[in-house]
Amino acid sequence: MEFLAEGFRRAWDLLVRGDAEVYGVALLTLRVAVVATVVACAIGLPLGYFLATRRFWGRRAALTVVNTALAFPTVVVGLLLYGLLSRRGPLGGLGWLYTWQAIVVGDVLLALPIAAALSAAAFQGVDPRIHRTAETLGAGPWRTAWTVAREARFALAAVITAAFGQVVAEIGAAMIVGGNIRGSTRTLTTAVALFTSQGDFGMALALGLVLLAMALVINVALQVLQGRGSG
Amino acid sequence: MVELRAVRHRYADRLVLDLEQFSVPRTGALAVVGHNGSGKSTLLRLLALLETPTEGQVFFNGALVPRRARSSLRRRVTLVEQRPILFRGSVRENLEYGLDLRGIAGTAANGIIGDVVERLGLQPLLDRRRHELSDGEVQRVAVARALALRPDVLLLDEPASSADRAAAGALYRVLAAERAARPFAVCIASHQLEDAYRWADDIRALAEGRLSPVTPENLFRVELPAGDGLKGVHIGRVDLFVMTDRSGPAVLAVPPTDIFVSKEPLPSSARNVLSGRVTGMSIDHRGAGVQIRADVGGVELVAAVTAEATRDLALAPGSPVVFAFKATAVRVF
Repeated sequence: MEFLAEGFRRAWDLLVRGDAEVYGVALLTLRVAVVATVVACAIGLPLGYFLATRRFWGRRAALTVVNTALAFPTVVVGLLLYGLLSRRGPLGGLGWLYTWQAIVVGDVLLALPIAAALSAAAFQGVDPRIHRTAETLGAGPWRTAWTVAREARFALAAVITAAFGQVVAEIGAAMIVGGNIRGSTRTLTTAVALFTSQGDFGMALALGLVLLAMALVINVALQVLQGRGSG
Repeated sequence: MVELRAVRHRYADRLVLDLEQFSVPRTGALAVVGHNGSGKSTLLRLLALLETPTEGQVFFNGALVPRRARSSLRRRVTLVEQRPILFRGSVRENLEYGLDLRGIAGTAANGIIGDVVERLGLQPLLDRRRHELSDGEVQRVAVARALALRPDVLLLDEPASSADRAAAGALYRVLAAERAARPFAVCIASHQLEDAYRWADDIRALAEGRLSPVTPENLFRVELPAGDGLKGVHIGRVDLFVMTDRSGPAVLAVPPTDIFVSKEPLPSSARNVLSGRVTGMSIDHRGAGVQIRADVGGVELVAAVTAEATRDLALAPGSPVVFAFKATAVRVF
């Protein structure tokens, strides 16, 4: 018990003191997570809309692929990406291995199925009359999509939250393609794993608490936005 | 204005519409009648250019409409669905939606909205949101939202289904006023012949996705004498009694379900008691029982009765029959 209490005391001290390493790691994590979520949603939400609203040959197969990709293990994504980005890999020329951009790419690959599959479900949940009404009032494809998205705003906010949650909490890809390099690719999850293995429980706990706080803030912010947009 | 040629439309493998030719004339008021599931709503969606027929072609102003109609073309036709839906936001925002798409905003939009709101009596609803409206109010807002866009073709799917009769009357009056001010094509799908006869120039019947000859049951064009109350009009060799304060040319309709069928005249309050012979009998495919067709004094009338009543009365083609109905049962259009 003493060990746990000591861990919490040290974590509290690091957080209150504004420890540069803790907050540096947190900022990098935030940057990676925000960029990856934005990119994944920018691709995934339109893809979800397309899968939900268009009838085309192979649509069911495409939905199955996207849904299956939801369960993709993060370390496998990391491994495949490592193969692509390593010096001998086809994308080795980019020189992205062990950079934060590599983590972003990994996280996008992990969040994309979430954004696409869950948003497809969200768009499918919108009354089909909304789509037809927008069209009959003269809306083109973009405005129709925007109108449908407005109707699905609560579900889409949940999709974005889920995508962010996946990105911020994953460790496999970040560890493999990021390399956990201090000050450059060390994210909250990889840092927690590292400090725990080094026996610095207080530091790991402090980082874990920051991770929790981040998830909490994002969720609360989205809920506030949803509340404002209701009706 | 909008024309369908050799159109066959399927959902999955089920044929829902099969029309050799169907057109909505440029300034016509067209009614499409048919029971639920006859293909009316599908027909309107094709006319609204919202769906592409599985087979066949759609023409707009004589020009072939491509498989995915451009929104600029769709803006000339507006459909109000049977159970319309409003977007999130206030009634005003809903009315602004289509105007905004056409680049109409500010004072111009306010003028159009004010005008249509006044005519449909929607002023008190302007700031309400969709969940604060009744079904009838949603329908009126949806009609206003479509009328505000001044389309060349307005398609209304059962516009009076959610509204009470008074509201339906108001709606038809607004449409008539709108068309008097600015001629445009209107096509209304309805399962109520009454509505169709009240305002349409042309009526087409749809059954099982196909056009069927309009067989208006018990409809008579007459000249009503002046005055109030009970009036008798000659139709063929019979006198038909009707309660109305209308005079001049009118259409009388006797709902088949309002006719009492018997083998011989029975004492009752019915002003109209007509004797004749059964000319035909058919099972109503809408499940409403049996239709008894009879020649009463040179006039053909149809009555709807249950299969049990047909059996009890031992009715058969050629057998004598008496049709009775009250003067108040006769509708006047």
